[in-house]
Parts: sequence; C-alpha cells; structure tokens
Amino acid sequence: MTTQDHIRNFSIIAHIDHGKSTLADRVLELTNTVSERDMVDQVLDSMDIERERGITIKSQAVCVNYVSKDGQDYQFNLIDTPGHVDFTYEVSRSLAACEGAVLVVDATQGVEAQTIANALIAMNSNLEIIPLINKIDLPAADVERVRGEIEEGLALPADDAILTSAKTGEGVEDLLEAIALRIPAPKGNPGAPLKALIFDSYFDAYRGVVALVRIVDGVMQTGASVLFMANKITTNVEEVGIRRPTNTPVARLCAGEVGYLVTGLKDPKDVKVGDTVTLARGGATEPLPGYREVKPMVYTGVFPLDGDQYSELRDALDKLSLNDPALIYEPETSHALGFGFRVGFLGLLHMEVVKERLEREFDLDLVATAPSVEYHIYTTKGEMLSIHSPQEMPEPHYIERIEEPYLKATILVPPEYIGAVMDLSVGRRGVFDNMQYLSQSTVEMKWAIPLSELIMDYFDQLKSRTRGYASLDYEFLDYRASELVKLEILLSGKPIDALSFIVHKDKAYDRGSVLTQKLKEIIPRQMFEVPIQAAIGSRVLARTNVKALRKDVIAKCYGGDITRKRKLLEKQKAGKKRMKSIGSVEVPQEAFMAILKVDE
Amino acid sequence: MGVASEFKNPETFEPYQALYIHIPFCKARCHYCDFPTEAIDTDSPLIDAYIESLVLEIRAAARGGLLGQIKSIYLGGGTPSHIGARRLVNLIYTLSVSMNLHSGIEFTLECNPESLTSSLVRDVFALGVNRFSLGVQSFIDSELVTMGRVHDSQKAHEAIDTVLERCSNVSIDLICGIPGQDMVSWAKTLDAALSHDITHISIYPLTIEDTTPLAQAIKSGLLAQPDEDLQAEMMLFAQDRLAQAGVVRYEVASYARIQEDMQEDKKENCPCSAPDYNCRHNIAYWTGLPYLGLGHHAAGMRIHSSTLARERLLEGKVIERLSPQQAALEDIMLGMRLVQGIPHAHLETLALNYPKLSYHLQRTLCELAELELVDKTATHYMPTNKGWLLGNEIFGRIWALEEHCDDSVTIVSGE
Repeated sequence: MTTQDHIRNFSIIAHIDHGKSTLADRVLELTNTVSERDMVDQVLDSMDIERERGITIKSQAVCVNYVSKDGQDYQFNLIDTPGHVDFTYEVSRSLAACEGAVLVVDATQGVEAQTIANALIAMNSNLEIIPLINKIDLPAADVERVRGEIEEGLALPADDAILTSAKTGEGVEDLLEAIALRIPAPKGNPGAPLKALIFDSYFDAYRGVVALVRIVDGVMQTGASVLFMANKITTNVEEVGIRRPTNTPVARLCAGEVGYLVTGLKDPKDVKVGDTVTLARGGATEPLPGYREVKPMVYTGVFPLDGDQYSELRDALDKLSLNDPALIYEPETSHALGFGFRVGFLGLLHMEVVKERLEREFDLDLVATAPSVEYHIYTTKGEMLSIHSPQEMPEPHYIERIEEPYLKATILVPPEYIGAVMDLSVGRRGVFDNMQYLSQSTVEMKWAIPLSELIMDYFDQLKSRTRGYASLDYEFLDYRASELVKLEILLSGKPIDALSFIVHKDKAYDRGSVLTQKLKEIIPRQMFEVPIQAAIGSRVLARTNVKALRKDVIAKCYGGDITRKRKLLEKQKAGKKRMKSIGSVEVPQEAFMAILKVDE
Repeated sequence: MGVASEFKNPETFEPYQALYIHIPFCKARCHYCDFPTEAIDTDSPLIDAYIESLVLEIRAAARGGLLGQIKSIYLGGGTPSHIGARRLVNLIYTLSVSMNLHSGIEFTLECNPESLTSSLVRDVFALGVNRFSLGVQSFIDSELVTMGRVHDSQKAHEAIDTVLERCSNVSIDLICGIPGQDMVSWAKTLDAALSHDITHISIYPLTIEDTTPLAQAIKSGLLAQPDEDLQAEMMLFAQDRLAQAGVVRYEVASYARIQEDMQEDKKENCPCSAPDYNCRHNIAYWTGLPYLGLGHHAAGMRIHSSTLARERLLEGKVIERLSPQQAALEDIMLGMRLVQGIPHAHLETLALNYPKLSYHLQRTLCELAELELVDKTATHYMPTNKGWLLGNEIFGRIWALEEHCDDSVTIVSGE
C-alpha cells in the first residue's frame, strides 16, 4: 500500500475540445494502466454520446501507479470531470476530492470562460494548479500568447506551464513528473473518525448503487456499518476498492485515497453526490462542507411519437435515472401529444443528451416540447404554486403575481463586443451588474438574466454576435417577480397545449408573430389550409396560414419508374410517420422546439 | 445479357405483351435530365456496337419465344432518332423478322425535333413504326434554352409537319413549370401544339432532379425553384384548353384526341387499328401487363403463371418481387392514374380473394372520397380534378396498405 505522502489526487480541467480526454488516454498508456488491447480513444468517456460529442458527462476516477525519475512509487488518482456548465455542481464535488488540478488550455484557442469558471472553482477549493498548454504540435499553436492569457486572465504563473501534445504524447512525461512534485499529498488524519466524500455514483445491475468516494479522514473498511449523513441512512460496507480502471477490491480505503464503495443500497436517490459517509457508531459529527440538493433548472414534456411506446418510455426513464439522479420525471398528459412525462434537467445540454440517449439506446421516437423553467405563482388565495409547464398555469384572475428564476451570468468577451453583449442581454431582459477588465483583451461582464430567456438560444446568439469569442458561465441567483403571460398557439382554431409557452407581457407580440411565421415554415402544406394563431386568452396577437397543398403528383410513371416511384411514396410515408398528427394536422417534431429558435 | 436466364422455363411466365427497347444516346444532355443516357456523336462506333448487341438480344428473345404475344413496341431513349435512319432500320428490320410485326401492333418511335428527317420518318414507317412521340417540351425559345434543349420552336413545328406528312398518329411532350414560364407563355405553347393535327399530348410538371444542371442553377440562385401552385394552375389550364380542342385526359399526364373527331381519310392513314389514340404501350404499364425491356438499363416485368407473383427486372436481372396481393395492390394504385380509375367489379374480385386487404382498401377509398380526391360513381372509383393534382396522396395511401398484405415478399435488392 502506498503511504499518504505518495498519493496524488488530481483532476484535469479544460474547456470542451481542448484535449482533456486524449490527455487522460496518454496518462493511462504511459503508466501501463490500460493494456494496449483494451485501449480505445477516450477511455474514460464510456458512453457513445460522450465519445461522439467529445464531451464528458459522468465523472470518472482511475488509479494509476507512477514511478518518478528519482525512483519513488506514487499512486495517482485521476478524477475526470464533466466540462459543461450544466454539471458545475458535479465538477465542484469532484474538485473537492482533489489536492491539485491540471488546467488544460488549447495552444491555438487560448483561455475561455469555461476554463476560467473551472479554474476559479479549483482555486476556491485551494487546489494546486498546474497550467498545461496542449496541442503544441498544431501549426496554429501560439504558446507565448496563451501563456500571457493564463497569467493575465487567471493570475497564474505560466512560466513553468507544461507543454504537451496529447496527440503525439510529447510532454506527457513532464506532466507526470510535475504531478508527483508539485501537487501536495493529501492531509487527512487516518486516526480521526471516518469522513468520505461521495463525488459520483453509478448503478450496477448486480451490485446496486456504487459510489465513488474520497476518504478525507479515517478508514473505510469492508463490513463496517456506515451512515450517509445528508440522507441519514445507515448501511453496511459490502466492498471497497480502487479503480484501475476496472473495480479492484481492497480491504480498506485510508485517508487520502480515492476508490469505490458498494453497500446494499439499490436506490440511486439514497446515494447523493456531495454527501458525507461516516461510521454509524463513533462517526464524525459534522459533514464535509458544500453539500446541496441538485435541482433541475429546465423542464420539458417528453412524449412518444407513437402512443404505444408510453410504457417503454417510462421504463427507459427509469433505467436512465438509475445512473443520473439529477434526472427527475413525472407523468404528464397533453391534449395534443397524449401521455408522456414532464422531465426535469440540469440544463439544455443535459436535456439534449438524455433525449438522444432515450432515442438511441432505447429505440424510441420522441417529441419534446419547448423547455420551461420553474415558475412560482402566488395566487389570490395566498398559495404559492410551483409550475413546470405552461399547461399548469392557472387562469389569470387567480394569479396575484408570478416569480421566475434569475441567473447570475458571467460572460467573458473581447472589449470590442461589449456593445453586442449589451444589446443581446438587455433584449433578453437582463439586468447589468458589473464589468471588469481581466486583461487588455478580455472583459468579464456580470448580468442577472431570467433563466427562461437564457434557454431561448441565448448562448447561440451570444456566440454568433461575438464571432465565437464570448464564453458564458452561470449559476442560480434568485426568484424575481415578472409580468408573465401564457401565449397560446392555435392550429386550425384549436389551442395546442404542447405549443403554448410562458412569456413576458412586453415580448408576447413579437414572440407570437415570429413563432407563427416560424411554424408556417416548419409545418408542411397539407390537404387543407391550416390557420396558425398566437393568442393570449381570446386576444389574437398574430395569425398566418399554411396554404393548402395544391400539387403533389408523380406525373411520369412508366415501366422503369414504377419501382423507383413506389419507393418515393414509401419515403414520403416514412416522413409522415416522423410527424405527430394533432387533430388532422401533421406537425413535425421540430415545431415543438421552434420557440427556442426565435431570432429577434 | 439479360434474356438468357428466361429461356430455361419460358412457359412458367405469362407471355409478354409489351416490348421496350432503350437507346441511351442523345445529341446533348438536357439540363433537367437524370435519365440513363449519354451525349454522344452520331458517328460514334459505340452506337454501332450497341445496336449490334441489341440485335443479338432481340434474336435471343425471339428464339426464347418471348415475342409471340407482343402488342406494343416502344423504341425510347435517350433519343432514338439521334442514331440515324440506317441504324434504326437495321434494328426494326431485325424485329420484323423476329416477330409478327403486323399493323395491329402499336409501334412508337421516340424522336427529337433536331434529328427528325423526312427520310427517317418514311423509312421507319415503311417498316412498321406507326406512332411518333416528339420531345417538343415548349414552343417558347427562351424556355427551350433554359432547359438546354437542342432544338428551337421553329424546328419543332417543322418536325411535327414532317411526321404528319406520313403518319397521323403523333404525340408530343410538353413541360409546365419551367423557370421563366408564365400562364401567357404556357397558353402560347398549348395553342402552338393544338395548331397541329396531332393525336396525343403528354404534359409533365418540371421536376428538379438532384445532380442535374437545373438543380445546380436553382441551388446557386440563378434560376427560381418551380412554383408548385403555378404548376397546379398550369396543369388545370392545360386540362381545360386541351379538352376544348377535343384532346382529353386519360391518365395523370396523358391526353389523347377523341376518335370521333377524326376524319375518315385520316383513320385509314392510321395503320394501328386501336379504338382510340390512348397509348396502348403505356397503358400496359398501368394495368399490370407483363413487359420485356431490352437494352441498357431497360426495365421489365413478368408474372409467374402459376403463382401470379410479379417480378421486376433491370437488364434481365430480378430486382424486386411482389406477392400476388402486393401486385394486386400495385395495380389498384396504378389504376388510379387512369381516368376510369378502378371498377367496382375489380374490387369485388379482390374482396373474394383477399378479404383483409380489401377491407382496408375500401376504408382508404372512402377516406380519399371524403378528401375529395376520389369520386365514387355507380361503377368506378376515379380521381377528381383535385385528385389529379394530388395523386401522390392517393397512390401513397393505397400503397401504404401493403402492410395488410398477408403474403408480403421482401424486395430482392435495390437498383
């Protein structure tokens, strides 16, 4: 066993695409942790979606052995974290399990908002940060500029930044050596009562919930009776072990070590990220700091395209939520879409990923409605209702006031785009807070912005209006009163609940007319005219028509054409199957998301 | 090539009733064309080699007993007239010694105005061609240029006159929805067509096929995408204009002069003894009669005598199999291309043979009637005026019933 002073717990933090997962691959190879036979790209990203999109969704931990140049044996625990703002809380818990972090910056791209956001979390957790400039093999690499940005933007000395190319492997040895020499050893007290931080968990069909833990103080051993402090659940340790990267049982995990914990618990909701595990008898009295309940930020209706798939959808959500405790759902019924679920997500990326997994891993055809946030409605009777969808909104005369969630948004942008960010954010009802120059080339702006506005392609707009330079990070701020109304969309005179949405009174007219136009483009022409209206109550704000289809005929159909043309008809039919029939109107899936793409 | 495999058991298939021969050569490729054809010089030895192989195919088909019941021949392309009278005569002569090429057989030659000559018409007419189909497309020069046609309107008028000197059974193709075309120019084209005493007109709305120069021009914004609403107006206008002139629709895209109009002397002039000017060969495609295709990329269809299963062939290779129920359904779908539609008697037979399919078909036909795409008369289901323009809705809904065929056969392979 390695003594505590030879343990190094660290994380690699990076902006998306800066090469984090490839770098992790090289570390595993150089330390012979993964045999060549098992080596695939992005070893730690085990989901197809993670590999395809080049993102990390789940945290991971892997234990590797390293013999330093002076002959010392080290145990490195690499904790891989998600890089996206949706998963900021998970990132903060993973970092809390480390003493150091390798901050990866792309030599061609430089420092970005996510880099700063994650670096700040790391600095706030008092981690030793090793700056690393990656992709130095690329012709566009500009190491000196990036060094400057790290020093100015992050106030980190960058003279001794490690230079690597994760692709070619150049410099990775230097990194391993730096980890051994520069990152401090854990300082936990093995003699103190057990305190272990859960920084992630997953569900195993045979073992139940497996928690990834960092032992802060004390010892965790097989057979001990332990207490999950936030949930106040007592259970027994069935197995502890380390990950190389497959689970390898050990008799005990001691202060400073990182590993996994198997108990009898079967419900993922019992094993919460951020919770502290201690001994049931003679354990710690105070949990580790920083735990909070993870709450969804956005909610969307998810419906099977074919009503017969309802129970399959329910089973699929059940299964996914086993590995994703942040995913919550409850049944929802829509007049237009039938039976489905209202599902809560941490953010839009989380939502996209879950929807894609439902469709791909469970072979479901789904319609998702535009995301909504959690509104607080204070009624004239003095109650407070939390609603997650426009359908739940009470009649206007019952409403005293409505509050909506605001975010604290941090935007990093070159100074020449300050005006563009101002225009966009004010247009989205943002309230300017403050601004400061991080360097001559980077300004940090802080805004309070309603979450409902932020999920309406704010990020895409921000990117396009700043030619890709701006980056964004945000966290929940507070609830504020707003004058909100429910805007209904009517097709052929019938209100379609799945298309309605909640909007600020002053924006209702604009959004209504843009959306009706957008729907006109999306909804294909049908056998009859389809009027599209946007209305608040009985007041129609905008209307347009999808003209009736006049001509759709294969005119030329001779001997050689028949097979080909029949296949064309089959293709048309398959296209229709991908649409939802509402009444007699065929509505494509993207119509329900159209509100998110309302360019103003 | 293709026919060899059929010789082993010719008796197991229903006799072919129609023969298609493909000539895959043109003077130039039109801008909208995605057909299997290539632009090639008239003198090219490649054409001679191709004719040589066709001659062998025809002889082989004759030896295999495949040509005994043929009732129509269509020599299409490409541009058959492009290869010149000498080669055409060679080919038709081979046909005439390979089958009984009597005057009751409808024999169409597809021609383009630029390569049609008086002597060519006389030569092929003498050997049995009794119907000429001319690719006119438009009588407006600027529209012909847009489509990359080789001829101009003057040449088209001359070509029609040239054919009519010898043969009264003349069809022309016209296209509506050409970029730059409007109702005024379309009316001019129709009137120009009707100024000739022709017997048949086919009208196609322009479809933009991917990979064609027209598609490129539209993509790059040089030309406007054809307006479907305008095409609908043009199709309706043509239907009325032609009907006034006694040229009446009998299929989605096909119009024929009604026979009463014909003067006695012309009747004699028309060697094909059909009761009307409807294209008998094309009707074979729409009524499920077996046809043999010879030549490059030529399609064929045959029916197993015992099982009535249907096979589609490409260059003699089976590319698709349909079960008897699927075939019956396809016939109903194709039947809806025709003005008389589907007779109730036909549906009653279907109900006896395939009750489940028939049940669903009846429901679909009722839906189509509710949508006013199909009319139910005392004797037939037939397309309405709206139905002509929205044919895919009719064809698509009928073919969608394929899932109710109990005897479905999977398709052998794609093209």
